[in-house]
Amino acid sequence: MVVTFQLNGEDCRLDGDPMTPLVDILRQERFLTGTKAVCREGFCGACMVHVDDEAVPSCLKPIGLVQGCAVTTIEGLSSGNQALHPLQANFEAADAVQCGMCFPGMVMSLSAFVRDNPHASRPEIKAAMVGNICRCTGYERIVDAVADCLDQARKAGQLAGGIHV
Amino acid sequence: MAPGVERSFTAASTIEEALAARRQGASVLAGGTWMMRDPRRGVDLPEAVVALHRIPALSKVEVEPDHVVIGAAVTHAALGRALRGSAGFEGLVAAAEGAANPGIRRVATVGGNLCALDFAAADLAPALLVCEATVELQTFEGPRLLGISDFLKDRHALLTEAIVTRIHLRRDLIASAHIRLPLRQAGDYPVAIVSLAVDRNKRCRIAVGSVEPVARRWTALEQAMAAGPASALDPQRVAELALEHNDFQGRDGKEADGWYRRQVLPPLVKRGVAALLSTEGVAWL
Amino acid sequence: MSELSATVMNLPRRDARDKLRGRTKYTNDRARPDMLHAVLLRSTVPAGRIRKLDVSAALRCPGVRAVATGADAPGLYGIGIADHPLLAIDTIRYHGEPIAVIAAETEKQARAALAAIVLEIEPLAPVFTMADALQPAARLVHEGWRGYEVITEGGARAGNIAWEAKSSRGDVDAAFARPDIRIVESSFTVGRQSHVPFEPRVAIGSWEDGRAHIQTSTQVPWTVRNVTGKVMQLPPGRVRVTVPPVGGGFGLKFDASIEPITALLARMTGRTVVLENTRQEEMATCLCRENAEIRIRSAVTAEGYIAGREAVVLMDCGAYGGEQVFLTTMTAHTLGGNYKVGATRLVSRAVYTNTPPNGAFRACNGVYNTFALERHTDEICEALGFDPMEFRKKNVLGDGDLGATGQVFEADVLGPMLDRMETLRASTGTSEAKADGRLYGIATTVGTWFVFVGPSAATVNLNADGSATLVTSGVEIGSGTMVQSLPQIVAGQLGLAPDQVIVREADTDAAGLDVGVGGGRTTVSIGAASVAACAEVREKLLRTAGEMLQTRPEDLLLRDGRVEITGRPGSGMSIPAVVAHAQATTGPITGSGAFTAKNTPAMSGCAMGHFIDALDIPVFVVHEAEVAVDADTGHVEVLAYRVVQDVGRVLNPRAVMGQIQGGVVQGLGYALHEEVTITADGRIAQDDFETYRLPLAQDVVPVAADLYEGAPSMGPLGTKGAGEVPILAVGAAIGCAVARAIGKPVRQLPLTPPRVLRLLHEREPPPEFPHIAPGWASNTLG
Ligand SMILES: Cc1cc2nc3c(=O)[nH]c(=O)nc-3n(C[C@H](O)[C@H](O)[C@H](O)COP(=O)(O)OP(=O)(O)OC[C@H]3O[C@@H](n4cnc5c(N)ncnc54)[C@H](O)[C@@H]3O)c2cc1C
Ligand code: FES
Ligand code: FES
Repeated sequence: MVVTFQLNGEDCRLDGDPMTPLVDILRQERFLTGTKAVCREGFCGACMVHVDDEAVPSCLKPIGLVQGCAVTTIEGLSSGNQALHPLQANFEAADAVQCGMCFPGMVMSLSAFVRDNPHASRPEIKAAMVGNICRCTGYERIVDAVADCLDQARKAGQLAGGIHV
Repeated sequence: MAPGVERSFTAASTIEEALAARRQGASVLAGGTWMMRDPRRGVDLPEAVVALHRIPALSKVEVEPDHVVIGAAVTHAALGRALRGSAGFEGLVAAAEGAANPGIRRVATVGGNLCALDFAAADLAPALLVCEATVELQTFEGPRLLGISDFLKDRHALLTEAIVTRIHLRRDLIASAHIRLPLRQAGDYPVAIVSLAVDRNKRCRIAVGSVEPVARRWTALEQAMAAGPASALDPQRVAELALEHNDFQGRDGKEADGWYRRQVLPPLVKRGVAALLSTEGVAWL
Repeated sequence: MSELSATVMNLPRRDARDKLRGRTKYTNDRARPDMLHAVLLRSTVPAGRIRKLDVSAALRCPGVRAVATGADAPGLYGIGIADHPLLAIDTIRYHGEPIAVIAAETEKQARAALAAIVLEIEPLAPVFTMADALQPAARLVHEGWRGYEVITEGGARAGNIAWEAKSSRGDVDAAFARPDIRIVESSFTVGRQSHVPFEPRVAIGSWEDGRAHIQTSTQVPWTVRNVTGKVMQLPPGRVRVTVPPVGGGFGLKFDASIEPITALLARMTGRTVVLENTRQEEMATCLCRENAEIRIRSAVTAEGYIAGREAVVLMDCGAYGGEQVFLTTMTAHTLGGNYKVGATRLVSRAVYTNTPPNGAFRACNGVYNTFALERHTDEICEALGFDPMEFRKKNVLGDGDLGATGQVFEADVLGPMLDRMETLRASTGTSEAKADGRLYGIATTVGTWFVFVGPSAATVNLNADGSATLVTSGVEIGSGTMVQSLPQIVAGQLGLAPDQVIVREADTDAAGLDVGVGGGRTTVSIGAASVAACAEVREKLLRTAGEMLQTRPEDLLLRDGRVEITGRPGSGMSIPAVVAHAQATTGPITGSGAFTAKNTPAMSGCAMGHFIDALDIPVFVVHEAEVAVDADTGHVEVLAYRVVQDVGRVLNPRAVMGQIQGGVVQGLGYALHEEVTITADGRIAQDDFETYRLPLAQDVVPVAADLYEGAPSMGPLGTKGAGEVPILAVGAAIGCAVARAIGKPVRQLPLTPPRVLRLLHEREPPPEFPHIAPGWASNTLG
């Protein structure tokens, strides 16, 4: 079956099994290996992408369901020489990263979260991370960096529309 | 799937189209969060699927003064958004917003949650049981309405020739609560769930999920409560009744044994009653 | 120049940006369309004999390019003893054991061809538990154990006992016979812990110019090189191992596993072959932290003096000896650590069972022995009426005290660290109020660990642009050593900025021997080798500069990228100018350095069958946990967590804090959530993220930590490894705090809600070990 969708802003046309998980297409056919397939069961969040601006796990998303959708992967979030997303910049500055495998998914989940929840509290940030596992860092520094990012955005007066990706 | 056979995938735009595909043997695909894990369970993905996400009628929640209709393809997240703040539906909202994790909730549908056969820990099942929801099916013989209890019991057979299209709720609840007990703070399946609701007649409804293979109402406890005064919505008292009328056979699983699931019910009931009491609806108590 | 002030800083990670953008290519991101994909045929029975294995039909399947079996790689490997085949040969010893491997054009084709392999196995009665394995009439998991090559001499072995290590110091019988003592005995049992690195074990093998080249996600490139040589019966020098960034290891990748298979298939096909464990395979065959059983007895006087102590520790090595053989050594230093003891004898045995082999996991062996020792200490305090904190202050190891193998400890470290914990607690306050009606418990525990030193090599090339290239076999597994402490050390030694230090990723063709990244050793061992390499570079640099500046080299120093005359800031010349001159006159400036253990002695006759008789660099921790237990459901909430950690000297405080937070949280997983059980057919039941519950953000708290500096260390600039030890005493602190909260003895981990509720309802049977004999000596091979 032929499936067409937007991938990081470009048209993408695939001819294949419509039940193929999106993550496999991204990694194996498009070599967009920033999206990680860790559990393949919806628990870890390492495979998070944005489908029509919503953060969803790509391991459980059959490509048949993304027909006509806009898919953004970590590579599309700040591509080429573009500046880092403020969250990425905060994670970098806070020395939050360890092995790094969970971070593309963290960034995709949390970038949508900060966009939609500019006033989130620390417990709300943690609740938003229930589907994003990190085996290395023990989370707190990630939470701090998200909170800092929201603080900075508020201070910078970007309040009105939240933080834009 | 045999080599060389191409999988058939239909994105139906009407219920009729979906049913036609179903007749041809296609399996229903909603959010896919359950079905896509089939290979991991050693089950092959179906050779033909029919997706429901393009059927507008199935993707909306209609909130009317005296009833609510939920399309089967509505996601957990959308359900939570639609009903948040509606008095009486606190429990259903808590179920929709507390199940799984945020990413799954944005994808997993109400219909999928109820139709994931052999899934004992579904959050929406007990939450809809206390709503006394009616399940609307499109069967090969035509539409059919069925109480949620009967649906859950018979769904194996029912679903071989049907699609769940809508869930109908009366707005006869004044308060409800949903107490789930995962082993972590969140993120894993609840090992036990207690949903409670109080209707306009001040009768309390209680349902239990994840303890037995299929969620069910806790009739013995409801009756015991009905025998007492309505003002007896006292957490401690109800927990004592729950202990006395605990007629559940806990199922053994990797994460918890049957004893544990059964044992935690009275305290969950206690929490549930406390949660009910904190809603506006039961301010009369 | 102060070397220290130029070295200590919160250097951020240079690899963070690419990792955050998803650009970093881990090994499992490197599969290309022209590679073959390998899949393993794994055993579906726990024990059996292979009666027939015919792969000819599989070879004819579409896309299949090669099929290999044990016959293609007949060599055995192992630690201490070579007992492990790459692919099962004749005998199946665990469910999931690889039997054959298929390489095909696509993974799908390879999987499809699995069904064409004809395999007949005659099942054997499996031996699942250590209790079964130690029965006198138990079936032997390795019938031919006597014939195995012994790689390291000294361990006692017999039948299902793969290895036994003993330590014995003083007259223990006399201590237990004293009239003025009371005897306290405790038994503990702990389950396995799965590492769950986000990148599973994966390797890419190719055959280049008659040699194997393996790219792999490993912590031990040299072990992979040597094991591959061994099983393929090649000189190890015909194997080259390179290591891309590693997506988490935690000890799982401290052994070779699937890597040699890719080399084998590459040789057979002439193609590049990728083999990656699925998550299910990864978890079902995880070389877990071993399950263990511990019985410990102490003879304690009314004054609180520990006159005698003896213990038996059984460690399940699973089907093959692996790391457990080595780790039997650690009991003397972990269970035998922490406290001054009059006379002591400890035995630890690695026991074969028909279960998936276990391996190394961050602070291996130490985690559960510390749990056992600290809970036992609390049981002593309860039995004899001591205050647990006072008892610890009085008895912790101090300057001149003897360890279990007779090692003499230097300096008072644990005592002052306990004081520092009290100061830390005073500054953070306690969280009892947050218990909010639940059962509250607080416990302070101590732990002894070490830095696993051993050989490392480093080369430093000074370049004409003023940068330096550091070439080692170190691997960046996420802990930051390769991107933080090593460039900081080299920069500090050479007066450069850390970003001028290029760190070469591990390549066994380019760098010298290294025992691997683990045991908290990288900063210390590779760091020390790097310092030695820098000394040579420095010497050459200063000599050349001295000639150019007409100054004695002793009067020169390196600072801010310049060679300066001491006392005259801004004098001298830039390093690039000196390097350019040297290149034209004496040749490029390079230096090499090496390091190895100093082999601190034990008391003669005290350590038997040990790989490490005494600790070169002990590391201590003090951990304190506050918990609230829900008596209705058994849920344990961690309210607060505090750590005082002996770091020797901290080079990057922020990075160390990150390691502490991460390590403690892994420990919380071990203590509270992560459970591995073995099914009736010998499988690991929890082989996915649904059933194996890792701690999530909501389950953790920010750890308050105080870094204790100044304890002696042979590490460069006085450092000790900081990344491994944070997990050490978490099981202990949580176990003790929960025991106090619920008022019942805690003798098993993890403390999942069902287990805690069973404890509260007295439905949890205490561990009983009929297979551990009452007399200590009967538990040894003599
Ligand atoms: C990581 C994770 C965590 C989870 N945690 C929880 C939890 O805490 N609580 C909880 O309740 N659930 C949990 N779940 C289960 C989740 O709720 C279900 O996966 C989800 O609801 C299924 O919905 P879906 O739309 O994705 O269904 P699909 O996967 O599309 O379908 C599921 C099944 O239902 C059938 N089906 C779907 N819709 C219809 C219909 N309208 N008519 C007839 N048949 C239909 C399909 O044929 C299929 O057999 C979790 C799942 C995951 C992946
Ligand atoms: S890989 Fe998709 S959620 Fe884990
Ligand atoms: S940094 Fe390794 S999994 Fe998060």
